[in-house]
Amino acid sequence: MYHNTPDGYYKLSITNFQLELMLLESVSTMDFIGSKLADFLTYTGFANVEWANIIMIAVGAFFIWLAIKKDFEPLLLIPIGLGIILGNIPFKAAGLEIGLYEDNSVLNIFYQGVRLGWYPPLVFLGIGAMTDFGALIANPKLMLIGAAAQFGIFGAYMIALAMGFEPNQAAGIAIIGGADGPTAIFLSSKLSPNLMGAIAVCAYSYMALVPVIQPGVMKLLTTKEQRKIKMKPARQVSQTEKMLFPIVGLLITTFIVPSGLPLLGMLFFGNLLKESTKTTRLAKTAGSALNDIVVMLLGLTVGCSTQASEFLTLATVKIFALGAFAFIIATASGVIFVHIMNIFLPKGQKINPLIGNAGVSAVPMAARISQNEGLKADPHNYLLMHAMGPNVAGVIGSAVAAGVLLGFLS
Amino acid sequence: MKKILSILSSLAVALTMNAQGAHDFKLNEVYVHTPACCDSSACKTASYVDEYGQSASWIEIENISYSTHDIRNCFLTIDPAVLDENMSAPERETHMSQIPAGDPRTSLSAKQRITFFADGNTNRGTLHLNFKLPVGESFTIYLFDGNAVDLLDSVHVEALPAGSSYARIADAEWQVLEADKVTPNAPNIAYHNDKIKEFKEKDPYGIAMTLMCMGVVFSCLILLFVFFHIFGWAMNRAAKLARVRAIRAIHEQASKVVEMAKQGTTETKGIDMETYTAVIGLALHEYFGGTHDLESGILTIQQTHTTWADKSHELRVTPQHHQAN
Repeated sequence: MYHNTPDGYYKLSITNFQLELMLLESVSTMDFIGSKLADFLTYTGFANVEWANIIMIAVGAFFIWLAIKKDFEPLLLIPIGLGIILGNIPFKAAGLEIGLYEDNSVLNIFYQGVRLGWYPPLVFLGIGAMTDFGALIANPKLMLIGAAAQFGIFGAYMIALAMGFEPNQAAGIAIIGGADGPTAIFLSSKLSPNLMGAIAVCAYSYMALVPVIQPGVMKLLTTKEQRKIKMKPARQVSQTEKMLFPIVGLLITTFIVPSGLPLLGMLFFGNLLKESTKTTRLAKTAGSALNDIVVMLLGLTVGCSTQASEFLTLATVKIFALGAFAFIIATASGVIFVHIMNIFLPKGQKINPLIGNAGVSAVPMAARISQNEGLKADPHNYLLMHAMGPNVAGVIGSAVAAGVLLGFLS
Repeated sequence: MKKILSILSSLAVALTMNAQGAHDFKLNEVYVHTPACCDSSACKTASYVDEYGQSASWIEIENISYSTHDIRNCFLTIDPAVLDENMSAPERETHMSQIPAGDPRTSLSAKQRITFFADGNTNRGTLHLNFKLPVGESFTIYLFDGNAVDLLDSVHVEALPAGSSYARIADAEWQVLEADKVTPNAPNIAYHNDKIKEFKEKDPYGIAMTLMCMGVVFSCLILLFVFFHIFGWAMNRAAKLARVRAIRAIHEQASKVVEMAKQGTTETKGIDMETYTAVIGLALHEYFGGTHDLESGILTIQQTHTTWADKSHELRVTPQHHQAN
């Protein structure tokens, strides 16, 4: 308290009671700050972290490293890798609506595209708008290689059943063999939603590892002479044929497999936008900006969905093992099918078995591997355009296979 | 006049839409509550309590469309007397329970379901009906449009085992669901499980699935192959025929010109005859060999020396600055 003194100064005089009061106030303020800080600390990641979170964050960082340093599918692995980190940041579930699985959170809203399966058809729209089916139309018998490679899916399905998975789970896992991320997400979100995170990460991881998995299988199943087979250049395809392909393709495939309508419909729609030559703007948007936006959200939310409690399980280990089998079987069945075709084809029209691997729908990576392996066998043998035929047929084949599985099991 | 017509047409469309909306409501699941078995475990799992915590029989209705519709003012009843076509609408209403308006819960978005308690006590709120479902007897539930005349849906329910419900699992297929599969306000999932169960039992190794699926995949792509093989052949054939026709026409023209030149009847407009025929010959040569619509696709990287590539031509003289005077 301040008092006036005779010499004109103010004097501070504090009674013991007042001092105690101030001390108490400061103590209670400190208590308040302390309790709030302690409370805040319970919300931090440090207070809630578990070993599983650390492992998953390391997995996410590894994916980012693979994408940046090794150039393995960076457009997918960077969003997925960061998504894994994002989904495994530990926090206290206090109804803040921040987590992926919390209703109305931003991440949850983004996640609806995965959960309800509307991102994959949008990705297929972009794929359709970017794909030139010319190589396939020019040499339509290559479509059969795309069909044969789908055996990877069903080979993995049989193994998954033998490993004790339920038919719906086995189908969700087996679709990894199609080497088609959006299709894997679409099917697993419908048939086995609890395994979707692991299946999606596995599918994209193995797609990134296609250059590691496929060449060994291709070399194992071909002789040096077979790898040198030169294929005749394909004929020129008219624009009429290119325009007709998405319409006929849509009618044939969806009349047989209506359950594949979301994927096949959007794939052929995107392609018609491109080939009609009248909707260039739309095709450009579908194949670039829209596709990029969807891929970003898809990758991020799929990564987020791999939360440690769901992801670090024995089932995930099994899924990764099955995914590897699926890719190997798919590659092998494509190559073997070319050998079978060559038995019936006349001399001079033989197919180089190195394009058999491209029957999986990892476009255009699988076709690039055919090209690289072909050049290794003969530096003047260019297989890229030939391999694009089965490669795009694989996209159709895996979408059809997903539709059939969905039709049988849902 | 145009405005009036457009307003009238809009109204007509709106009225049609309303009617279509009502037809999108389907009876989805029916559960008959039996007080005697309330203590049994089966009944506990199947019971679904109202806002007052009371168990009662219930009727679930689904909006099967992909747009939002309101079920307000529609009628529910189990009284078969309403089927009498001679009965007037106001008279029918006395035999039925009307769903009240003014409750947002009656607005159903795409594929959403609503459950009404058949407890004979409408004082308890919007979701309560003025009749009860008979226990141990068969009955038919009727869902009428707001005009009390148009029957939207109906289902005949046989006496149900305790704890079970009767559910629509496909468009026109109904099935008795066991207690653990009763799903008030949720999709009826028995059908899905049955499919998976069937595959698990009858195809434990996945061989049948593999054969069927590979068959379908091959069928699709073989059909595409056949179509485009034939179509490609036809396109090639048409292109060849067009080319042959063009060549024939040129041949005919050329032979005519040569004949005329030989006879000296060609109008050369003062040009020397030899020059004239040479130009025609060059044009024909260009057409048959020199011109092509499609490039060969063969690239060459063999360098050809021209003065354009001469190094001496690449030298530049250093610009000289003019000295200011």
